[in-house]
Amino acid sequence: MDTWIIVVESLIIGALAGFGVGAGAARMFHAPKVQGMGAFRTFGELNACAGDPISHFSFGLGFLFNSWASVVGAGALTQDVEHRILPNWAAAVLLAKNQNVAETLHNPKKMAFAGAAVGAVVVTLLNSTAAAIPVSMQLVATKVLVPAANWLINPIMPIVFWMAAIDAGQRTGLWGTVLGGLSHLIMGNAVPGIVLGILIGKGVDDSGWNRITKTMVTAVVLLFVLSGFFRGFDAALLHSIQLDVPQWLIDLHKMFGSVVE
Amino acid sequence: METKEERQPQGFWYAEWAFPLFVAILSAGIFGGTHLYYVYHVGAFNDIAVVAMLEAGLKGGSFGAAAAFGASFLFARVLEGPLVGILDIGGSLQTGVGIGIPALMLSAGITAPLTSFPLALVTGAVLGLAIGAVIILIRKFTIRSANSTFGADVMMGAGNAAGRYLGPLIVISAIMASIPVGIGATIGAAVFYHYKKPIAGGAIIGAMLFGAIFPISAQ
Repeated sequence: MDTWIIVVESLIIGALAGFGVGAGAARMFHAPKVQGMGAFRTFGELNACAGDPISHFSFGLGFLFNSWASVVGAGALTQDVEHRILPNWAAAVLLAKNQNVAETLHNPKKMAFAGAAVGAVVVTLLNSTAAAIPVSMQLVATKVLVPAANWLINPIMPIVFWMAAIDAGQRTGLWGTVLGGLSHLIMGNAVPGIVLGILIGKGVDDSGWNRITKTMVTAVVLLFVLSGFFRGFDAALLHSIQLDVPQWLIDLHKMFGSVVE
Repeated sequence: METKEERQPQGFWYAEWAFPLFVAILSAGIFGGTHLYYVYHVGAFNDIAVVAMLEAGLKGGSFGAAAAFGASFLFARVLEGPLVGILDIGGSLQTGVGIGIPALMLSAGITAPLTSFPLALVTGAVLGLAIGAVIILIRKFTIRSANSTFGADVMMGAGNAAGRYLGPLIVISAIMASIPVGIGATIGAAVFYHYKKPIAGGAIIGAMLFGAIFPISAQ
């Protein structure tokens, strides 16, 4: 019974996601004049396959195995489904009939509908086979994949992003280091902070302290203050330097529904 | 690379105002995927590590990590998207809408958008519409004055570089799980490397094949 519900819902979800991914990917080819949606690596990889349907198909297929193992192991489809499999397979379907990329891959309308069809099939296939996989197999995948993925998120990714920020120049290195450290303290992972640091550092490098970069810094400060407050970082900090949390702060937290001691 | 600019594409599919609609449709699908994960433990549109943060919250812990990680990624990508002309789906919609916002809702005790499929689609669509509209607005205000990609290339490079670590990490993790699983992962990784496929895929399949023959204990 559950399997049937999963199949029906997956068909709908896959079609919706595929439609958006297809339209967004085709619009990337007209960026920055037209706002696209996808990712730089998706864009680069679509270009790398050079409009050859076999290349697009096999590139997507390689990632289908990763996604399949991941969904079996942890119920997670991986970002490759929307960044790689759907756009490349939608492109492959269209290019099989017409090798002219301007009329196929770069056309949001055709890519949206091809994406919807591919999405419905791929997402349903992944979700329904995962539900049918025996528990012992899921256990192996979970025992292997979850620790590996945790190591990747922390500490590998923070280090790789940190190094990239440092290599990108003095200013991105400084902003990345400061915001990365703060972000690891407050949010539990340095990557968001480093990404924001690169954004600010490169923005100032390229266009100086103008309205956009100043607004960005203000927004980032606000983000850190708010997420620090809502995660109870203020109270935890006072505790760790052996100070009592004042009653007004406890009351303030209570107003937003969180309890601190 | 030479790009031909003979004509600016026109019509609905290239229109500025159509963008929020596409984001809404995609977000509806992604939020629906999170609903599937919440109810049936399958189908979340994200990498294991990110979904694991949501799972940590569901298992009785705090949703703080998922909420803060998702929300800050969404924030960063919404700032970056209009500036570079490409909205990063992974950071903004899959992590922000698919993980961050559901974690925020769950930590506030709101479960209805995640338990009901139709409500999940509507919630995702509304969130997507709002995000798309914000991006078009930022675009209108900044596109003329900005002449920077805001380090998008640096971040994408780091993202791709980090991905390369996953294969070896899986082999190491498999070896620590059990000897047969470790041998399977090593062989799988080597075979995939030989055929120029991502090492991670081979390591996982090898580990699972050997793990099916020589099961590891549940502890």
